[in-house]
Amino acid sequence: MTTAHPAAPDMPALVPLHCLRHAEPGPPRLAALPTGTPVWVVTRHADVRRLLADPRFDRASLFSPDAPATTLVPNLLDDPQAMLNLDGEEHQRLRRTVQRAFTPRSIARWRPWVGSVVEDLLDGLEAAGSPADVVGAFSRSLPIAVISRLMGLDGLDHERLGRWSDHALSATAYTAEEIQQAMQEFGRFGQQLVDERRKDPGEDLVSSLVEAADRTEGVTEAQLVSLVCGLVVAGHETTMTSLGNALVYLLSDGADGWARIGGSEADAAAAAEQLLRAVPLGDQETAPGLLRRAVEDVEIGGVLIPAGSVVAADARTANHDPAVYPDGIPLFDPLDTPSLTFGAGPHHCLGAWLARMELELALHGLARRFPALRLVDAPDAIEWRRGLLTRSPLRLTVAW
Amino acid sequence: MSAGAGDGTAGGLEVRVDRIRCVGTGLCAAAAPADVLLGPDGRAVPRHARAEASERLTEAAEMCPTEALTVHLAATGELVAPLD
Repeated sequence: MTTAHPAAPDMPALVPLHCLRHAEPGPPRLAALPTGTPVWVVTRHADVRRLLADPRFDRASLFSPDAPATTLVPNLLDDPQAMLNLDGEEHQRLRRTVQRAFTPRSIARWRPWVGSVVEDLLDGLEAAGSPADVVGAFSRSLPIAVISRLMGLDGLDHERLGRWSDHALSATAYTAEEIQQAMQEFGRFGQQLVDERRKDPGEDLVSSLVEAADRTEGVTEAQLVSLVCGLVVAGHETTMTSLGNALVYLLSDGADGWARIGGSEADAAAAAEQLLRAVPLGDQETAPGLLRRAVEDVEIGGVLIPAGSVVAADARTANHDPAVYPDGIPLFDPLDTPSLTFGAGPHHCLGAWLARMELELALHGLARRFPALRLVDAPDAIEWRRGLLTRSPLRLTVAW
Repeated sequence: MSAGAGDGTAGGLEVRVDRIRCVGTGLCAAAAPADVLLGPDGRAVPRHARAEASERLTEAAEMCPTEALTVHLAATGELVAPLD
């Protein structure tokens, strides 16, 4: 489904994401975005959490007319109508139209069905025989199957979906024009979907979202369409990335844990949580964290952040803060403090529980079915999808 | 769902917040501002020791993305929201 982004011959080889080194957390420090705009980078776990939950740091003012440039090439996340870029009441209004579908209770109802999709995909993998590409046959297919079912996207063209996702989360892979064109096409798809479900509602998430939005005063059509598109992309891209990178770790440096993940769902759940914490989604090339803007002077971590400053919540560093977590990846230890992988505050990831469940069931199912699964090539020979906000293996040849 | 609404539990509810699970989305405080507020650390805090049943309070519990906020009968501790 994806447009391939193999490395150009002159590009340096990349290490697996679990091998990336992390900065030592400390007080907020001043750095610069690729646009040259100064940015305060917040790295301690407690500070990141506070920053993300504090309404004096917002998203909307990153897009106000006086805002300094924060992206070289805007993508889907820079759409001012996106839920991510709304704040306060306007944001809550839109979020409430979808929140119910994503509570732990709602997601738990999908568990048997997601488990059956995992088994179907494993049957296919087994039938195809060793060796096989576990990305193409499994880690990419599962999240697409899940979001397609959730949103009622039967017959969705996976090529097109892949192209839209790649453009939506592009960092450097495409030009601004290419992204704009793909996002217009994607937006038309989203609008058509909204129109269809408004006319002929079903049991799916898009129908319930349209219904809730139409009942809620103040939700605009542009916000609704942007949300639908956002769900399609966020619903599979990040999960695919987490799963692919988790497999890279578990089939190389973390191979000791494979048998136990296959042996118990509870152990697989603990491992999923640790992997979500410790293995980042990407290289943070476009920004050193989740961006916010200070709407007034705010002190954080002992440093005064002046009004108007751009601030980055570096969840990746915070997820390795030695004040909170022990060194390394203690795969089966429960997390005493929730990680910041899904953020915190109003924009805490809507799909967090769905992602957790998919990762847990996928890892457990794969390890149980293929206890002797191994990588055919060395981790340093992995080809990566590059130029996107996320980084994951383009393919991963495994044998059993 | 309108857990507890009008079933004689007036003033007999207790709002509990699991401060480890709470990620400070503020959805609860937006749904039931009379019962819940966000504290200085960005985590939810019950406004009063006791609460009265209301659809807003039930919604606050049902909306919580991490199920950190729960509503109980004060007398018995029985969970009244969120329910499946």
